[in-house]
Amino acid sequence: MISITHFLIVSAIIFCIGVYAILAKRNAIMILVGIELMINASILNFVAFARYDSVNYGGQVFALFAIVLAAAAVAVGLAIILNVYRHYKTIDPKNINELKD
Amino acid sequence: MNVPITAILDQILASLPLFKPEFCLTAGFICAIATALFAEQRLKNVTFTVTALSLGATIYCLFLQVPISATTGFSGMWLVDKLGTYARILISTATLLIAFFIQQRHTRQQNGDIYSMLLAATLGMHVLCSTSSWLLAFIGIEMVSIASYLLVGYFSQNKAQSEAAMKYALFGSVCAAVMLYGLSLMYGLTGNLDFKSAQHLQGLMTASEPLVTLSILFVCVGIGFKLSFVPLHLWSPDVYQGSPTAITAFLSTVPKVGAIILFTRVYQAWSSTSFYFSELATWIIVVVALASMLIGNLAALRQKDVKRLMAYSSIAHTGFLMMAIFAYQDTFRYLFFYLVAYVLMNLATFIFIDHLEQRTGSTTLRSYMGLGRKLPLLFSAFTIVAVSLIGLPPTIGFIGKLMVFSAVFDSYQDGQDTSVLLLLVVGALTAVISLFFYFRIPLYAFIRKEDDFKHLQSSSAGLLLSVGYGLVFLVLLLGLFPQLLLDLLL
Repeated sequence: MISITHFLIVSAIIFCIGVYAILAKRNAIMILVGIELMINASILNFVAFARYDSVNYGGQVFALFAIVLAAAAVAVGLAIILNVYRHYKTIDPKNINELKD
Repeated sequence: MNVPITAILDQILASLPLFKPEFCLTAGFICAIATALFAEQRLKNVTFTVTALSLGATIYCLFLQVPISATTGFSGMWLVDKLGTYARILISTATLLIAFFIQQRHTRQQNGDIYSMLLAATLGMHVLCSTSSWLLAFIGIEMVSIASYLLVGYFSQNKAQSEAAMKYALFGSVCAAVMLYGLSLMYGLTGNLDFKSAQHLQGLMTASEPLVTLSILFVCVGIGFKLSFVPLHLWSPDVYQGSPTAITAFLSTVPKVGAIILFTRVYQAWSSTSFYFSELATWIIVVVALASMLIGNLAALRQKDVKRLMAYSSIAHTGFLMMAIFAYQDTFRYLFFYLVAYVLMNLATFIFIDHLEQRTGSTTLRSYMGLGRKLPLLFSAFTIVAVSLIGLPPTIGFIGKLMVFSAVFDSYQDGQDTSVLLLLVVGALTAVISLFFYFRIPLYAFIRKEDDFKHLQSSSAGLLLSVGYGLVFLVLLLGLFPQLLLDLLL
């Protein structure tokens, strides 16, 4: 029997993988992938919790909106990264440091 | 619980009038996309006209909503009250000024699309100002963020602008993802997405402390990114410096108003109990206010670029606004007054910075050397704004700071709490520190002699500069007669 705890553990693991990808990867696209993993972990949480909220379906609605917003944010992010590549010929955030103190 | 569908439809139809200003914005957004696509080549400035008209209609509808006090619509998702209505008027008016700023400054390119993004961001901020539901709050934050990424990256004429856009987009998306995870945990703990509802507060009271801490901290990450308070301020100097000045003026003023209103509502709903999560919320706001004021002002001391300096200055002002939220009791007047002061001062500053950037081709403090003789009116006005940003009389900044300080002092006398005393001391101390960096602008302009002869470019945007002088006039007028604004806010 799969209980809610299993869902929460899986989502926590996915969230941590996402955080690791953001902190460790030296590629802006991989950072976007990490963000996507984090968002999907939260969506899993929402849908799992929504099973216990049969009145308002708030969690399921939130999950739908989160999917749409994540897609929009990633589309904008990819366009911006493409633009950065045109100027810098690299997408490693460590090498893109013209603005600093 | 089964509600018949006709009842739901009736309720939706009944709440539609509350949504009128946002309908104006949505219609303007769609029209702006269409005109930017089809009509911009033939009729110049048609998109700007559509944007200005829709913002004007929005402001008109908002003035009609002013008498409404605390009504909800759309099954409690949409909340219209005085604070929200005034904040939305402020947001729409400031956006109108910024649309004019962009129209004056970026005349050559085909840039109709930038106005539709501006309207989308405004719509998101309206959502932030008038909701008590986490779902709408998250949608609002994401709408503002995505539109702002595009605004920063839209021109990308040089390396710095595209880099600023990438840093902003990556940092912002990470913060939004963390906030979403926090919201999902909070939904699990409470089973309700309305942060004012009894069920939500009940859930936070009974849940285990580590989980409550984690979820509240995660949610604060998302709001903190929009407000750029201290642990999450890292993006703002780079983005402010890299973006076109008109966009910096937008980022530094308008989104903060929306996020401040949301944070005020959350803090008000949460701080009223005596349970663990209320204590945590109070601690977060005190620590963040102290850290933002200290780090913002101290880091601004060693800046050489005016836009970077203004970024740290706005971090410091955010800390001060946190203090205003902390002291919020039964009236929102001084919080809103400080917001108006902040928006006026920052818009005027960025209009002057932009004009000087056009004339000298640079935004460093060094390039202002000796310019006080050549542009006396501009630098006198700039000095007045600097005085107001410090918070000295006779300006609006002084009145705003005075009102916040007296409210915090009242709450200190009520509770005799050390943290409140610390807030007062640090607030006063950092105001003194800020004297040193704001006065470097007139110092360079009037006192330092220029080493070599500089040729000033001629500038075309005289109209924009007169708007800037108008804002300075308002800064002085409301500083001398604050009742003009305060009497409106009853």
